[in-house]
Amino acid sequence: MQLSRKLAVILMLLAGLSSSAQPKPKPVTCTSCHQAQAFSQTTSQMAHALQLPGSNEVLAAHPKLTFRKGNYSYSIDTHDGKSLYSVTDGTKTISLPVDWAMGAQAQTFVLEQNGQMLESLVSFYPLINGLGITTGDERIDPKTLDEAIGRPVSKEEAKTCFNCHATHAVFDHALDLTTMKPGVTCERCHTDADAHLMAILADAKTIPTPAKLDQLSTEDMSNFCGQCHRTWETAVRSHWRGPADVRFQPYRLANSRCYNGADARISCIACHDPHGKITRDTASYDPKCLACHSLAAVTAAPDSTTAPHPKICPVAKSNCASCHMPKVALPNGLMNLTDHQIRVVHPNEPYPD
Amino acid sequence: MDFPSILHTTLKDKHLSEVSPSTLRIRGQMSRRLFAMHMDKQFTARRGKVSRRIILAGPSHAATAISGIWLTIAIAFFPSSAACQAPLLNPVASSQDFAALISNAGAARDRGDRSLAIQLYSQALELNPAWPDGWWFLGTLQYGADQYEPARNSLTHYIELAPPAGPALALRGLCEFEIGRFAESLQDIEQGINHGAANQPRNAEIILYHQALDLTSLGRFEEAIGKYTVLAKQGIVNPEFALAVGLAGMHMPLLPRDVNPANAELIASIGQASIAIMRGETTAAHDAFQSLFTRYPRQQNMHYLFGYLLLSSDPDSAVVEFKRELLVNPQSAVAHAMAAWTLEIQGDFVTALPDAKQAVAEEPSLTLGQLVYGRALVETGDPRAGLSHLESVLQSDSGNLEAHMTLAKALSKLGRSEDARKERLLCLSISDQGVSLRATQ
Repeated sequence: MQLSRKLAVILMLLAGLSSSAQPKPKPVTCTSCHQAQAFSQTTSQMAHALQLPGSNEVLAAHPKLTFRKGNYSYSIDTHDGKSLYSVTDGTKTISLPVDWAMGAQAQTFVLEQNGQMLESLVSFYPLINGLGITTGDERIDPKTLDEAIGRPVSKEEAKTCFNCHATHAVFDHALDLTTMKPGVTCERCHTDADAHLMAILADAKTIPTPAKLDQLSTEDMSNFCGQCHRTWETAVRSHWRGPADVRFQPYRLANSRCYNGADARISCIACHDPHGKITRDTASYDPKCLACHSLAAVTAAPDSTTAPHPKICPVAKSNCASCHMPKVALPNGLMNLTDHQIRVVHPNEPYPD
Repeated sequence: MDFPSILHTTLKDKHLSEVSPSTLRIRGQMSRRLFAMHMDKQFTARRGKVSRRIILAGPSHAATAISGIWLTIAIAFFPSSAACQAPLLNPVASSQDFAALISNAGAARDRGDRSLAIQLYSQALELNPAWPDGWWFLGTLQYGADQYEPARNSLTHYIELAPPAGPALALRGLCEFEIGRFAESLQDIEQGINHGAANQPRNAEIILYHQALDLTSLGRFEEAIGKYTVLAKQGIVNPEFALAVGLAGMHMPLLPRDVNPANAELIASIGQASIAIMRGETTAAHDAFQSLFTRYPRQQNMHYLFGYLLLSSDPDSAVVEFKRELLVNPQSAVAHAMAAWTLEIQGDFVTALPDAKQAVAEEPSLTLGQLVYGRALVETGDPRAGLSHLESVLQSDSGNLEAHMTLAKALSKLGRSEDARKERLLCLSISDQGVSLRATQ
């Protein structure tokens, strides 16, 4: 089954390549039939979750990046689409090519040394427009130049990283970079798309339809997105606490008073379009909040013994998220992220865990 | 549990300070006598400091541990001292007798005359049963003399008089282990750990080892393997340890001393292979297990154990091993359950469902089986059916975080948002307890 999926991917890629030469190209890619979603999806951050040499706009815009930690100096030099990650202790220098950059804006680099994947000890952060210690690696105190390059990544961890930052990176439960497509593309979420496309390629009489993700319940959607953005269970099971867990939106959202796993108005896709660029305008989210927290919504809501009626904000009716979903700085100060634990925020209150 | 006789004669009565840490680690780190002496030494040192400080600053029963002179001073100046509060029939004569007894008892103890020391401490405690330190000294001496039931009683007195007494709880747990009261032993050891008995690395090794032996004896094999993994990573090497790990791995609720010699080689080999995985010696471990599979192709629990040990580093291979176990032992509920669990952790609930269902069919009382089946049902679209299985888990294990988390999800899916929220808050509380517990260990 896994092998046939792999063949399907290869066939799709080949068909996609050859289609341009055909007088009447067959609908062999998602774009052929689903142009609107496919094109707009390319503008999303998820589509750029993994960037390869030559197409990394962040590094292209910053041809010389430097950083120093203790006895070690770091630099990333980018020329002609190729980036070299170097670390030196003043006497010796190790340089490795940047094979993969994880992230659309903030970027951590995956390097390879003697067959071992390494997570770079420094990452690029737009907030400081430069390099800083990779989030989560702050406690690493390198004793050697080899240790200073980055943290060795196990096969299992590498599989997890690429499975979220790329498409078709995992076959038969193993990391396979030969068919990997960088970034989150159609088939990463629409997992049945392979069979759908294979049937079209084969001119099959019946074409299986991929599951529609918008039919998932809010709880299931939260877990679906949580595969990469971390589920509530994952965060609790891992005992993650403190402001650093603001990165895990499904976890934070499920901690919200208004979270209801059976109410589509609080689903991930109620606010975010996975096929489009993320909206930074806070006010644009107001209708989502007012879908519950408005007189009209409260009046229309059926009496329920299992869920409390939503409250109506006595302060404002616009820019809800600016107060109720504050920005939280990561402990390293290198990123400010929106807290998805929707709540009434009191002045000087500690970060609610 | 006793350590090998050769160590018995060489290390038995040596004071811990005379034994190098490396000798202990390699040869006799599991010695309960050494443990008792070590605890006693720490206790005496601590008490000595406390007593001297307290004699100058305020009342304490601890003063009596030092010497007759200190005792006299303590009694003279601090009438609220526990020693003074003891019901003495003839206060003047008895206090002199008491002081003389503890002085002589201490001297006997210092020169290694254990039986005389036990006799004198017992007499002193007849005069003053409210003297906590006396119970401690008596308890540790009795423990060292293999008098486990009396030692347990003495330590019980001490624990009642000087709570929370983490080290004493742990030592009482070791006494209970020796007399086969494994459930009580485990409870005392765990309470002892919670009150700091394992904060000192050498004590931690001995306590953790006995905790694992208790868990094995009680049939809680996976938990035992977790403890053994900690010890293996610390580099512990000896034949008894390999046997102990092998027993837990093979789901045999026995102590190393109870192993049938005919099975000892197999069990020890399994233990050694397991220890290699625990230490991250992946290639050696794989070779060792493959050799075992070739030599004992029909041996039950070996593939299960291999899968269990691979779970954290290579869950895909773990599933393969659980399935191989089912070829050898098709009725293994725990292999079905672990295969389902591993798939569920990877988010593959559809594939997990048949194994989860079969685990419950094979052994309805298996908590893990109920959990994985409940979760599989919740995740594959039947949260209502999953509820009863999750509640079954919580009836036997009310603090089961995984069951509470899945219950929260089921309630959320059913639209019972307030109930789901309560469950989530409960989960966070349980998780926080886990964090604080880990911080103390």
